[in-house]
Formats: sequence, C-alpha cells, structure tokens
Amino acid sequence: MTDVQDKAATAPTTPTEKSGGVVATLFRFQSVFGLLAVFVAAIIFSPRRDGEILFLSADNLANVVRAVSEIGIIAVGMTFVILIGGIDLSVGAMLGLAAVGSAVLMVESDWGLIPSILVVLLIGLFFGALQGMATAMIGIQSFIVTLAGLQIARGLARIWSDGQGVAIAYGDGPNEAPDSFALLGERTFGGLVPIPVLIFAVVAIAAVIFLRVSAFSRHLYALGGNEKAARLSGVPVIRVKIAVFAICGLLAALAGIVHAVQLNQGSPNDGIGYELDAIAAVVIGGTSLAGGRGSVAGTVAGALLLGVLNNILALNNIDSNIQLLIKGLVIVAAAALQRLRPAS
Amino acid sequence: MSEVAALVRMSEIGKRYGGVQACREVDFTLGAGEVHALLGENGAGKSTLMKILSGDVTDYDGQIEINGSPVTFNGPTDAQAAGIAMIHQELDLVPGLSVADNIFLGRELRTGWRTVDRRRMDREARALLERSGVNLDPRRPVGELRVGEQQLVTIAKAISLDARVLIMDEPTSALTTSEVERLFVVIRELRRAGVGIVYISHRMEEIAQVADRATVLRNGQKVASFDPRKLSTAEVVEAMVGRPVQTMFTTPDAATGDELLRVEDLALRPRRPRPGRRDPDGISLTVRSGEIVGLAGLLGAGRTELLETLYGVAPGGPRSGRILLQGKEIQPRGPRHALSHGIGFVPEDRRISGLVLFHSILANTVISSVPSYGRLGVIARRLERAASIRMADRLRLKFGRLQDEVGTLSGGNQQKVVFGRMLLTEPRLLLLDEPTRGVDIGAKAEIYRLLGELAGQGLGVLLASSELPELIGVCDRVVVLRDGRDVASFRTADSGEGDLLAAAMGERAVFEEAGGLQ
Repeated sequence: MTDVQDKAATAPTTPTEKSGGVVATLFRFQSVFGLLAVFVAAIIFSPRRDGEILFLSADNLANVVRAVSEIGIIAVGMTFVILIGGIDLSVGAMLGLAAVGSAVLMVESDWGLIPSILVVLLIGLFFGALQGMATAMIGIQSFIVTLAGLQIARGLARIWSDGQGVAIAYGDGPNEAPDSFALLGERTFGGLVPIPVLIFAVVAIAAVIFLRVSAFSRHLYALGGNEKAARLSGVPVIRVKIAVFAICGLLAALAGIVHAVQLNQGSPNDGIGYELDAIAAVVIGGTSLAGGRGSVAGTVAGALLLGVLNNILALNNIDSNIQLLIKGLVIVAAAALQRLRPAS
Repeated sequence: MSEVAALVRMSEIGKRYGGVQACREVDFTLGAGEVHALLGENGAGKSTLMKILSGDVTDYDGQIEINGSPVTFNGPTDAQAAGIAMIHQELDLVPGLSVADNIFLGRELRTGWRTVDRRRMDREARALLERSGVNLDPRRPVGELRVGEQQLVTIAKAISLDARVLIMDEPTSALTTSEVERLFVVIRELRRAGVGIVYISHRMEEIAQVADRATVLRNGQKVASFDPRKLSTAEVVEAMVGRPVQTMFTTPDAATGDELLRVEDLALRPRRPRPGRRDPDGISLTVRSGEIVGLAGLLGAGRTELLETLYGVAPGGPRSGRILLQGKEIQPRGPRHALSHGIGFVPEDRRISGLVLFHSILANTVISSVPSYGRLGVIARRLERAASIRMADRLRLKFGRLQDEVGTLSGGNQQKVVFGRMLLTEPRLLLLDEPTRGVDIGAKAEIYRLLGELAGQGLGVLLASSELPELIGVCDRVVVLRDGRDVASFRTADSGEGDLLAAAMGERAVFEEAGGLQ
C-alpha cells in the first residue's frame, strides 16, 4: 500500500501511478459502484408482471426514494457529525419530537404552517447546539451526550403529546392543520417526484456545495482529521463543533416534519432506531468514523443503496428478519472494503 | 573487571537510517558489576546503540557477544531471554492497571487453580518496590502516579526480570533528589550482585557519583572513554560537543530592531498540575524584531511549556508576571487570539500536533488563513491555490501536486508545510519548538536559511531546541532554562556549546569560568 503512495508522490507521471489512480478512484466512489451493483441486481431479481420489470416502474422507483428521504435527510446531518469524529444518537428521537411538535402546534395549538415549521426547526437547531456545547465545552464524548439527548428528546416528545400519537386532520377549522401542509406530502413535476424526495435532494445538494466551497468545511475536515493540530492552527474548534451538531439537529427536525406529513400524524414513538440506519448510510457511503474523511455524496449513495436493497427484498416477499441479516452483511462488507482502501 | 570475560562486548557496531549514519564502528563493552555511563548530545547515537543491544533494532553491522559467545537477537524477546532489560525513556506502562499488575504484566503469578494470584503479586511487588527504595501501594493504578513514581515502577519491573544487563535511559529525568539518592543505593546493590548497568544521562554530577566508566559518542562514533571520577565536567563537555561549528548555519547579522516581546517574571501555577510538565516558574526574556533568540535547556527544563504559555495553550491556572507584545500587555487566551496578535507557533511533533497527515498539502497549508481567501465564508479556490503555491515556492517545497497527501512528503518537507501555514498568517513573532527534529540535513539548512530571511524582514523568532550547534549557529542570543526558570543568557557570538550545556546542567563553576554568566 505504501508502495503505491510513494510512487504516486515521487513519480507522478508513471503508468504505475495511473493504475493506482484507477484503484483509488474505484475506492473513492465505492458507494456509487455499490449502489450501481445493487441496482443491477434489483433489476435482475425483480418480479415481473406481463413482462414489465416491477422494480423499474415509475411508481416503485418513486417509492424507493420516498422511503429513503427521511433517513437520507438525517444521514446528511450525521455525515457532518461523523466528519468531525463525533456521533449523534439523538436524531431518531429528534425526528419523533419534531413530528409531535408539528402535529401539536398545527392541530392542537392552531398555529399556522410557517410558525409551526419554524419553531420545530428551531427546536432541532437549538437542541443540537446544546449537545454540541456539552461535547465541545465540557468535553463529554458525543456518544454519551447524544445518548442522553436521545432519552431527553424522546421524553419531551412523550410529554408534549401525552404519550399519544397526534393525528393530523386538514381543513380550515379549529384543530385542523392547514391544507398547505399536506402539499408537502404530494408529488410534483407531473406527479413524478414526491416532495419529500425533493426536500432530500435540495438538502443533499446544498450540503455537497457547502462542503465544497465554504471556509467552514476546511475547518470541519481539519478538526475531524486531527483535532490537536486544528486547534493549534487556529481553527475555532468549539464553534465548529457546536455548529455541526446544530446542523445535525436541524436536519433531524426537518426529517421529523417530513415524517409527520407522510404519516398524517406525529407519534412520540416514531423514528426509533433511525439513528442507526443513518449511521449505516454514512458508513456505506465511505465516511470514516474516525473523522476527517468522507463526503455527503457518498452518504446519499449509501442511503439509496439501503433503500433499493429494502425495496427489492420486500418486492420478493423476503422475510423481514432475513432482510435484517442481509442489511447487516452489506454494512460489514462496506466497512471491510474501506479497510482495503489504498490511501492510508 | 577482566577484558576477557566481559559480560557484553559490542564490536564495530554500525547502523544507518536512510542517509543518516546513526552509529559507525562503535565498540562498547560492559563488565559484570560495572556501571557504564553513555554520554553524548541528542542524535549522537546513544539510543540507537542501546536499541541494538536490547533487540529493538535488528538490522545492524558488527557483532555482539554475551559472556564471550556471539549472539543475534531477532527481537526484544530474544534480548530479554539473554538477560538484557531496558528501561525506556518513554515509560511503557499501562495506566489503568495497578502497580503490581504492571510489574507482572504478561507473566502473572498463578494460584493452583490457574487464576491470577493477586495476593502473591501484591506481596512480591511490595518487596520489589521496597528494594528500589519506594514506598508505594502496589494496588494503586499507575495512571495516578507522578511521572517520577512511574519511573521507579519501571525500574522495579526491570529489576524483577532478574536481568544480568540493565539499560537505563535517563532514569532520573523526573525524579526528586531524594528519589535519585535511593535509586543510586539500588544501583550500587545491583552492582554488588554482579549486574552490568548501562547508564544514559545528561547529568554530569550523577555520572560522577554512580558510574565506573563513561563513554562519549558523537555523530555516531565513539570519541572518548574515561573514568568519570577523574575528569572534570568541562573536559567531558568538550568531548561531547568538540567539533567545529558547522558552516551550514546562516550567520545572523546583528541588525535588530525594536523590542517585540518582553516576558517579565512569568510564572504559571496550573490548577490541575500534570505530571512531567515544568511550567514557567519565573522566566524573563526579550525578543527584538529581527532577532532569533534560542531557548536551551535539558529535557524537562520547561522550554515547550514556555512556548505553550506564550501561545495560550498552557493548562489553565493563576499566572503571575507579564507578557508584553510591542509594549502592550497581552494575556494569550488561545491559538486564535495569539494568531490575531501576530504570534505563530510551530509545535514540537508535526505528526501529532501539526498536520492532518491524510489531508492534502493544500488543505494543510491554508488551514490557518483560510477565511482570508474568500468572502462571506466562501473560499475562492484560485486565491487559496495561489497562496499555497507561493508558499511552496518560497519554502522550496519538494512535492508532486498540491492535492497529494501531506503524509507522503519527507519529514523536512512536512515541517515546511507547517512553517508555510504559519507564514501565511503573516506573524510578527514565531515560536518554534524543535523545528528541525527528524528533519534531514538538506531541509535543515533550508529551514535555517528561511529563519535568517524572516529575521531579515523584521520577524522575531523564539526557537527552542535541544541541539546545541543549532542554537549557537542560528540564534543571536540563547536563553538557558532550568527547572522552569531562566538561568543564563548568552550572546552566541562570544560563547560556545560548552557554556550552554554547562548552564543547562547547572554546573555553575564551568560557566563562571567561561565568563558566560550574565
């Protein structure tokens, strides 16, 4: 492995470097190739009706991405946290809290659409920032902080909803959510693209651009790569950490709103275990849990890969317990491939 | 001791690391019941020689005989089996385990039921510790102990191996005077029992007290061997440094400007003292703009801690004294604060504290100045690249592409990246901690050239180094620290390495003779 590196460093024009480059590229876009492979496999193993490949039907594909959108939004935030070498276990509970918040504010408190959404997003932002402060300023590991945050957010959701799911009815009357909220669950572009998918796409693209062009992203990657060196270089370590956890909380709350729209209710028990799916998507996407290395594009591919896999297994009526086994194996395989990555 | 039955005989030992000849045809013998001191500057080859003897380094030239029969070690285990134990400078203890567990690590005592016999281990550990003159509860976790106590535990552990040859690499660097006394009692006891001891230290007075023979290495070669009780410190020091000052140093011109940094009686009392740290305990010094001031001192004298205090990264706690930058008092709060005042810092260990090794040269170069390459938090990639290339040219960085991982560069070029990063922040004062450690000769010369150039542009430099030739050759003035205080200050134009070394070791007589005390 070091051989490849050394050659690349000393003799940048030799053919050896070129083939090393191909290998490196393969690994770099590992999750994209993984996604392609799973996609092709899905086509092959898809059930057919009257010669039509069910997996490829517009409705099915829309369902695949729709099912992925919530985890995908969360996973984008999770990518930021994992890039600085942290972890956020509270995102699933935050999704539940935000779903409950949206339902309660719009239905029971009769707040309008915009104030409700803004308040819910602010709760996520603020909650995440608090967790960031606890880990950055007190120095508690983010695993512990967000484990506590998970319990707290779940508890808050149950208190706010009296432990009951809050159903969302639409209309203009009291105790009814505005119809405009329901629109968020509709499809657009001629009924092809569900709006939750559009939201996911916008979030992902914004995150990709943000990590490419912002000065902040340099700080973020440096902090994840070597915190001590980053601090001595003048990176505002505490500020970056707080911002990253705030972003993650904000996106989890956004996913919670999307969740409430899609289910027409806010239940305090929603989103249990979502944090683990999000982490899985990030890991499959090639982001290193040690921090400092990875990308949002990879995470999107990872989330889609998991979505396609779920879909094709369900289409073939594979037992849901077997589905879990297969998902587990895919995660291990993705992590194992990263160990083989040539660049250190 | 008879030369025929030497316990250890190393003949014509040679070892090369890349372009550096660490050892060249070194002969070294150790008799049973002998304490043999090994002296030399950093990089003289002491550690390499002892790593060969302890089996840590296995590819070398020359021959080793133990009790007259040739041996080849394929690893530390072989050397241990031959009765050779080494007490490393970096203490290899497991902090979470108890003292007894550490002493018996890997060879735990068992009961008849094959379970760990804690009671016997504690008892035997206590006996061993008492033999080493320490009063320690063997059940205490090692992590709770002071560094000095940890050092004593490693010594007890080495003794428990019943080694015939014991190598001690600076065993007293963190011990108190009374602990050193007790250690010497133990050493004399071991000597009576016929153990051969190699004793590496920079402290002359210890060597005179405890050693039977001393060998001096310089540039990987044996340059002298003598009876330490018969030679004066001045003579030993001369043997250690006795070489013409190399011509690679840019002779600094003395044209210096206004006072840039003034430190007055700076002292720091950390709220949570960390063992092994020597925080400033009354340091005064000045740096003028255009001046390169060296910081000399032995390991643990407090050089790094002073630089950290000036950069604002020392542990928190009440401090006294003043730090003035261009006449204005400042309280450095942290790297960002220091950088905004024009104070830059190049830390001691670039791999741990300097670089993100798997990130690109570009990212590592611009990290301290990145917000200045764009507007509204958006980086202008063109400016960023331009700054990076400018710095690479100025530092004569040898690299392939800016996107290459910085970890693929040589040590010297990695160090240049850290320098470049700091220079991009346009500092007025540079704090450098061992900037040429692990850097090859060529890159060293370039770093010196750069320092001269920067001083010429009016920067002030405070350079901590343990390499005396470097301090003499590069600096205008050298301040010597000992135990967290400044004990002497020399103009390099009229003093030599011997003066620095003597002041650092606390040999008052020598430097008073030399007229170096100011």
